[in-house]
Amino acid sequence: MVFSSLVFLCIFLPVSLFLYFVIKDRTWRNWVLIISSLVFYAWGEPVWITAMIFSGVFDYFNGLMVEKYRGTRKAKAFVALSAVGNLLLLGIFKYSGFFVENINTLFGLSLNVPRISLPIGISFYTFQTISYVVDVYRGEVKAQRSLLKFMLFVSLFHQLVAGPIVRYSDIAAEIEHRRVTAAGFSEGVSRFITGLGKKVLIANTAGELALNFLGNDYERLPVTGAWLGILLYAFQIYFDFSGYSDMAIGLGRMYGFTYKENFDYPYISKSITEFWRRWHISLGTFFRDYLYIPLGGNRRHLVRNLLAVWFLTGLWHGASWNFIIWGLYYFVFVLIEKLFLKKLLDRLPSVFSRLYTLLVVLIGWVFFYHTDMSQGLRFLGVMFGKAYAFTNSEVSILFRSNVIFIVIAAIASTPLAVRLFTAIKNYFQDNRARVAFIDNVFKPVINILILVLSLAFLVGQSYNPFLYFRF
Amino acid sequence: MKKLRLDAIAFIVILGGLGLANLLNFNKPTVSALENRMLKARPSLTWESLFSGDYFRDYEDYYSDTFLNRDSIVKICRDIKDSLSLNEPGVTLVVTREQNAPVNQVPEATPTQPPQPSTPRPSTSPGDLPETQEPPETGMTPEPTPTPTAEPPREFGDDETVAYYLIVDGKAVQLFKFSREGMDYYAEVLNKYHEVLGDKVTLYSVIPPTNSEFVKLRKYADITDSQNDAMDYLRSRLDPGIVTVNVYDALNRHKDEYIYFKTDHHWTALGAYYGYCAFMDATGMEPVPLDRYETAKVEGYLGSSYTKTLNKELEKNPDTIYLYLPFTNHEYIMYSGNKAKTADLIDMSYAEGSSDKYLIFMSTGGATWSVIKTDVHNGKKILVMKDSFGNAWVPFLLPHYEEIYVVDARFYSKSSTGLNIPQFIEKYGIQELVFLFYMEDVNWTKFMNGVENHLN
Repeated sequence: MVFSSLVFLCIFLPVSLFLYFVIKDRTWRNWVLIISSLVFYAWGEPVWITAMIFSGVFDYFNGLMVEKYRGTRKAKAFVALSAVGNLLLLGIFKYSGFFVENINTLFGLSLNVPRISLPIGISFYTFQTISYVVDVYRGEVKAQRSLLKFMLFVSLFHQLVAGPIVRYSDIAAEIEHRRVTAAGFSEGVSRFITGLGKKVLIANTAGELALNFLGNDYERLPVTGAWLGILLYAFQIYFDFSGYSDMAIGLGRMYGFTYKENFDYPYISKSITEFWRRWHISLGTFFRDYLYIPLGGNRRHLVRNLLAVWFLTGLWHGASWNFIIWGLYYFVFVLIEKLFLKKLLDRLPSVFSRLYTLLVVLIGWVFFYHTDMSQGLRFLGVMFGKAYAFTNSEVSILFRSNVIFIVIAAIASTPLAVRLFTAIKNYFQDNRARVAFIDNVFKPVINILILVLSLAFLVGQSYNPFLYFRF
Repeated sequence: MKKLRLDAIAFIVILGGLGLANLLNFNKPTVSALENRMLKARPSLTWESLFSGDYFRDYEDYYSDTFLNRDSIVKICRDIKDSLSLNEPGVTLVVTREQNAPVNQVPEATPTQPPQPSTPRPSTSPGDLPETQEPPETGMTPEPTPTPTAEPPREFGDDETVAYYLIVDGKAVQLFKFSREGMDYYAEVLNKYHEVLGDKVTLYSVIPPTNSEFVKLRKYADITDSQNDAMDYLRSRLDPGIVTVNVYDALNRHKDEYIYFKTDHHWTALGAYYGYCAFMDATGMEPVPLDRYETAKVEGYLGSSYTKTLNKELEKNPDTIYLYLPFTNHEYIMYSGNKAKTADLIDMSYAEGSSDKYLIFMSTGGATWSVIKTDVHNGKKILVMKDSFGNAWVPFLLPHYEEIYVVDARFYSKSSTGLNIPQFIEKYGIQELVFLFYMEDVNWTKFMNGVENHLN
């Protein structure tokens, strides 16, 4: 199931929330949550739910063993077992086809290419359980003794299918004991609606428009069309993914969990390094804490460490060369920024560093979008003038039909609205009634509008794919 | 849980309320009048559909398709999107995407819903989207089409088709995107027919262009490719033994008349009449003057271009269907599967209600095959292999032929007649074969593949 579906919104969520709040007993509540999560997952992945359950039970056991043998070599062995087991799971389901294809190409063989469909969310839950075992080993958390509670962590439907990558240590306390307040629940709702609006109103619209420019043979794509297309795709992927993260964080709050932020207005970054501190934060920190720093970080083998991180970041996004190239592309920019470019950028007026970052990111999305590299290169060519025309009527009509939407999406990519809000509140700070009005009436009414609009658009659009769904 | 904020309360009330309201709505619609399509039916629960995940995917489609007040919500969304447009008034570009219907599909013996007239054909296929783009719910996959066994498998584009509509001054124009591959394949298929049938049967290629060629597109004339050039290109590819009928010039002479619908992709009966004149020209016969016909008219027609784009300008500007009633005595028999029934060539039962009124022509024209027997006892027998453009055209042939056989390339099936088209022609002693497909179908390899398959 995805959050932005009517079945989820009108059936699943009301029922799950109702049961959760009707039942007061803590253990039974956990059961409601875990059963909700399994139903949620099985709805999209009725068979390979077994892989998820396996991964959960496996690392529950590994965590216990690591704790039992703390300080001995055996503990290390169980950490290794966990990493190998999970990566094997990920490797079989996600990468075996890609691997065999490359072996075939490399050695001119024709081995059978396994076609296994990727279980939803496997890239997220395997990372989550690995991080748990490592954290137990490092002594950052205690091993969870209750299998029920551990499965709750693994299967929690809020972040199961599309992240953020929640670490056990982040919610360990809340698994044992959580309180849902009216204010917290309201905050959760507000956050969820924000995410739903981002996904349904902006990402889906941008995605539908982007299809007009992307994915064909580009023989009749003008330069302006290519730029408009990749810009729309950039909106689509950001609002899609960050919208989904918002919804996950919002759901968490409704049920009493606090997840860390996953996005922080990445498109306003002034360098690529900064972009990656603001984009998919939970993935970046995962690689930082469990790969980059253990490898030696900045202190030893900087280039090797960076290379490993970016190669794997690319590969994590999909079993295809274009994702690897996309990752390595960022490796190059992060490296030269570390070496000298960052200092230069800091001295430039911020408009230049922002433009530079946007340009690099937009070109990055070209690699990300095109699994077929030659098609991607053709698209790049069109962007930089190798096109049949500079512009055409189709592009100008589509642009004018949607220019207001594009402006709205651009503004929503920045913290402008939030800052405006804070500014208004500051302006009225002496008038408590007005501030209360803004908080308790004005903002909620906007939220309700977004909710109603999103529901209407969900009914109105059958087209509703989720980009990160298959990662 | 005291002091929930306003939006939290609304959230619970709205979502829970909608859930309950949909649960208690027992009379779920099965057809969308607005979009002129069947809505997704409630899936049946089997172990297989459950484990493959199909059940859940289908259930989600069914749930949103039958959502309370769906049609009005769809319209509201359209109005919101329209209000954000900064285009000069009266100009809109609408891109539609849809799943391809399977070609060579046998219509049910007793259709509850009239078969759809040929849907406007896509011009470009979006190409292979990378894996990550793929919607997780790829609900409707068309049934595999029967392919000839001897042939190597050939790729016929994606399952999804894309069409571009420019709406100018209340007229919908589907943009034409020339495809060399499509044109070459059309010629290849017709040449094959010519090879198989030899010189005993005269072959005609009759290609109605779409209105993109004739409607004034203001400053956007460059937005669509020339269909006239495409026809010239085809002429150079077709075997000289095949008679190319110049429909284009005939229509072009009358381009300011009401020869195309504004809200539908088809030609009007008047346009079809000029197309018939061009055919008469090619055969050396004398066309019957139009004033020989009694006429009828049906007002308030919103056609396929409207149902696909839901454009407001079109909605305000419905079409009138003018009909020319055949004066030749005849009997029209439609064979669907193994059932035969007589029908009216101009079937006014489709003039009423919300059904697609173009279905008036040849009473949908959607049989497996059909025959019109006239009292013109000249022994001439013709077969028209057509798409829905043929439905308005065929009735004009009545004064000239004793037997007119009609096959819709999408619905004909060997499995119900036991005959491929050459055998069919042999059996009924047919002397002339007309291919009448409109330009978008000609341009669409998947459609022409269906035509090719009827050789086997």
